[in-house]
Amino acid sequence: MSAAPVPLGSGGKELSKPPTDGISNLRFSNHSDHLLVSSWDKTVRLYDANANVLKGEFLHGGPVLDCCFHDDSSGFSACADNTVRRYVFGSGKEDILGRHDAPVRCVEYSYAAGQVITGSWDKTLKCWDVRGASGPEHTLVGTYPQPERVYSLSLVGNKLVVATAGRHINVYDLRNMSQPEQRRESSLKYQTRCVRCYPNGTGFALSSVEGRVAMEFFDMSETAQTKKYAFKCHRKTENGRDIVYPVNAMAFHPIYGTFATGGCDGYVNVWDGINKKRLYQYSKYPTSISALSFSRDGRLLAVASSYTFEEGDILHEPDAIFIRSVNEVEVKPKPKTVPAPS
Amino acid sequence: MTSLPKNHLSEMETTCETLLHELQVIWDEIGESDPEKDKMLLELERECLEVYRRRVDQSNKRRAQLRQAIADSEAELAAICSAMGERPVHISQSNQNAGGLREELKAIAPQLEEMKKRKAERWGQFLEIIEQIKKISVEIGHSDYNSSDIALDQSDLSMRKLEELTMRLQALQKEKSERLKQVFDYLKSLSMLCEVLGLDYKETVSGVHPSLDENEGSKCISDDTIVRLECAIDSLRKVKIQRMQKLQDLATTMLELWNLMDTPIEEQQLFQNVTCKLAASEHEITEPNTLSEDYISYVEAEVLRLEQLKASKMKDLVLKKKTELEEHRRRAHIIGEVGCETEFPIEAIEAGAIDPSLVLEQIEAQIAIVKEEAFSRKDILERIEKWLAACEEESWLEEYNKDENRYNAGRGAHLTLKRAEKARNLISKIPAMVDNLEAKVTTWENERGTDFAYDGVRLLTMLEEYTILRQEKEQERKRQRDQKKLQGQLMAEQEALYGSKPSPSKPLNGKKTPKNTGVPNRRLSLGGAMNQHSKTDIAHSNRAIRAAKKADEMGTLSPVSRGLDIAGLTVRKLSFNATSNNTSRESEVLRKPFSQVKPGNQLAPTTPVSKPLASIPADIEEENRPPKTVPIIASKTPIAAPSPSPMQVACTPAPVALKFEEENIKLSPEVEFSFEERRLALYLSR
Repeated sequence: MSAAPVPLGSGGKELSKPPTDGISNLRFSNHSDHLLVSSWDKTVRLYDANANVLKGEFLHGGPVLDCCFHDDSSGFSACADNTVRRYVFGSGKEDILGRHDAPVRCVEYSYAAGQVITGSWDKTLKCWDVRGASGPEHTLVGTYPQPERVYSLSLVGNKLVVATAGRHINVYDLRNMSQPEQRRESSLKYQTRCVRCYPNGTGFALSSVEGRVAMEFFDMSETAQTKKYAFKCHRKTENGRDIVYPVNAMAFHPIYGTFATGGCDGYVNVWDGINKKRLYQYSKYPTSISALSFSRDGRLLAVASSYTFEEGDILHEPDAIFIRSVNEVEVKPKPKTVPAPS
Repeated sequence: MTSLPKNHLSEMETTCETLLHELQVIWDEIGESDPEKDKMLLELERECLEVYRRRVDQSNKRRAQLRQAIADSEAELAAICSAMGERPVHISQSNQNAGGLREELKAIAPQLEEMKKRKAERWGQFLEIIEQIKKISVEIGHSDYNSSDIALDQSDLSMRKLEELTMRLQALQKEKSERLKQVFDYLKSLSMLCEVLGLDYKETVSGVHPSLDENEGSKCISDDTIVRLECAIDSLRKVKIQRMQKLQDLATTMLELWNLMDTPIEEQQLFQNVTCKLAASEHEITEPNTLSEDYISYVEAEVLRLEQLKASKMKDLVLKKKTELEEHRRRAHIIGEVGCETEFPIEAIEAGAIDPSLVLEQIEAQIAIVKEEAFSRKDILERIEKWLAACEEESWLEEYNKDENRYNAGRGAHLTLKRAEKARNLISKIPAMVDNLEAKVTTWENERGTDFAYDGVRLLTMLEEYTILRQEKEQERKRQRDQKKLQGQLMAEQEALYGSKPSPSKPLNGKKTPKNTGVPNRRLSLGGAMNQHSKTDIAHSNRAIRAAKKADEMGTLSPVSRGLDIAGLTVRKLSFNATSNNTSRESEVLRKPFSQVKPGNQLAPTTPVSKPLASIPADIEEENRPPKTVPIIASKTPIAAPSPSPMQVACTPAPVALKFEEENIKLSPEVEFSFEERRLALYLSR
């Protein structure tokens, strides 16, 4: 594993006033370097990552499991109190979009459809229209049953990938949510931790609790499917034992299409999926990496170093958010040294 | 007159006397007493006196009346004169005139009559002028010129006053005409504005004042109307400016779009009148309908159409530019820094995540950079071409030399002979060529501070490789020569022994020189070159595969085999530790780093796959793929670049240890929970 250059020095600038309990997710805005962070301390926080300033705190009725931006001035949250909320940052105004029957695990906002998509442990997916702000009964667009509890969601264009417990993967087209476009089983043998679509919209990456990432493609043709593969990562050999860590988080670079993975080993790796190379490994963070996000221009990488409870309720390092300015070398794909002879 | 009353009087006297006489007689006859008579006479006399007195009074009264009349007339005359501003000439004269009062009155009357007539005339003039003034005032709408101001005051009817009024009238008339002119001006500019803006002029004007849109007939010229006209013009002008700016904005966008998409001139011609107004100021736009709403929406529609066209074309354009970039790179033998899909993601453009024009700009910038670089590489590239051509000839010659039948006369044999001769000539120049090239490249690299890469491989490496290969080949040739010599000796010995010549055979050493010794595969890295002849290496790695394979199998055992020394040993070997130590390099060779998951894709592993132990739970046994497909093969081309480490794509079975509670995901797969679910359960229980 030490083949890649392991940089010395810090993991980037640490944000002041971090959440006081586990960081469930963080995301950069599509319009600025603002960072939205959801946490188990029942709070969603808004930071200005550049200025290292906490710009707002929004208290919830329970641990917040996910959050995302609506536009630069408002955002959505998925809360363990079964509620989906919208917050206007400037005024602190809170709207309740609606409820699930169980904690809401993840939330995504589709600019293409103008809808909020939430996945919950009640084994459903719900779509909400935030434009029709005429009460909860009008906001809910539809409820779509899933085979299992929803664990992770990812969007690209009109494609929606839903990863659930039991290693089910459903691929939807947002324009026709009546049933999944594709029903798949994860090619990984273990529980799915995270799913993220490629920025070019051709497929998605899956990560599992067993130190492995699978690269999949939407195109079901044989030629396209031969391209899929899986690789191991976030592992360690210690005293002759292979230790395998869950891969909690993935984030694709918006420009280069390379991606970062974060594991319970506290490492963040950057990969080139096309050339099948590891591009970089950042120095170890204090504890598990629970979430990752590249800024809109890919110049910043936000890293949430926060214990993800993989070993139960134990003592652990304090939760922290690091903002790392990304060097081009770390994320730029390297050409294949042995290209196929033409 | 005097004579007549005298006669009358005398007659009267006579009659009086006779009557008196008669009375005397009567009285005498009656015998009236004297006192009675006297009394009667006195009475008579008194009565007479009474009559006289009455008469005198009457006359007196009459005189007074006359005088009064004269005075009145004179006063009236004087008043009229003074009102008319004329001097009363005759009054003093008439006083001395002794023509009697009646005469006097008679004399004054015609004068008075005359003056009255004149006054009436004058008054008529005044009235006329005042009437006009009033009319104009009302038209203009001056509130201060109301009738109370010019009251019908007859006391001053002098010429001066008349002149004054006339002047006032003239001034008013002038003002009126000025106003009319102004109104007409306004109306004209209003009509122009309406025309340009495509509005209904009549409607606009009648909105300001209904009298304005009548062609003939008086137009209202009051202040209010003028102000409203001004307002109307002002607002229209504002609208015009607004629309003009909008149109100019649209024109700018249009020009940009034309420029971007190379819109044909014919299509542009249609909107020439829009784009030529790009820099025009407000007053320069006079053409009818250029700013009408219809027209603007027409232009807007065109811009929208172009925009849509652009959106659809943008993709093509980006693709076009991309191919152009690729072409430039290909020509300059530069490898694009990224797989192009990710460099400029088309899909992201389609999804709207990235502005295509931005991407276009980037690509154009890239093209410029590549062009510039290509220019700097041109000289060296030409030399490389020559060198490669020479190398090609070299390899051809090599093959040709191996052909035993090359001297057999056949069709075209003379041509190949000629070619061989030429090739030999060329080959002799190769070392110089290489040296030259090396020197050039070195200076280039020093100048630019970067490696000179040819299709992604550093040229110097290629050259070095080539030199090494050449040396090897040289040695090979030498060895072959030695062998030949040895064989010759052997043959000679045999001949000496048995007296017969063995049949001409191929050299005992069947080793075939690698085909590509002549042309160094430019994509071959140094490592590849090293690996090329190493038969032993392959055998060695085969052994290593077996070991590794075993280790992987052990890995499958998971907790059971944890801690087993042997497993640990081999597992460590598996790690991708590209240190210089030999073992690890070998183990790196084991794995084909980029092998696909597809089973058919791999070379068949020579080692048999051992069955996993029976004690392993079934779900662990079969990992991502069945073990048969595990692509652990000796790679013929190990990774050359040490920097980015390859992914561990190989699908080894289950891990040895999981950094979380295994039972959660393994022992009870039905009640699988994520960390978050368990955390929440704990959170809620607290």
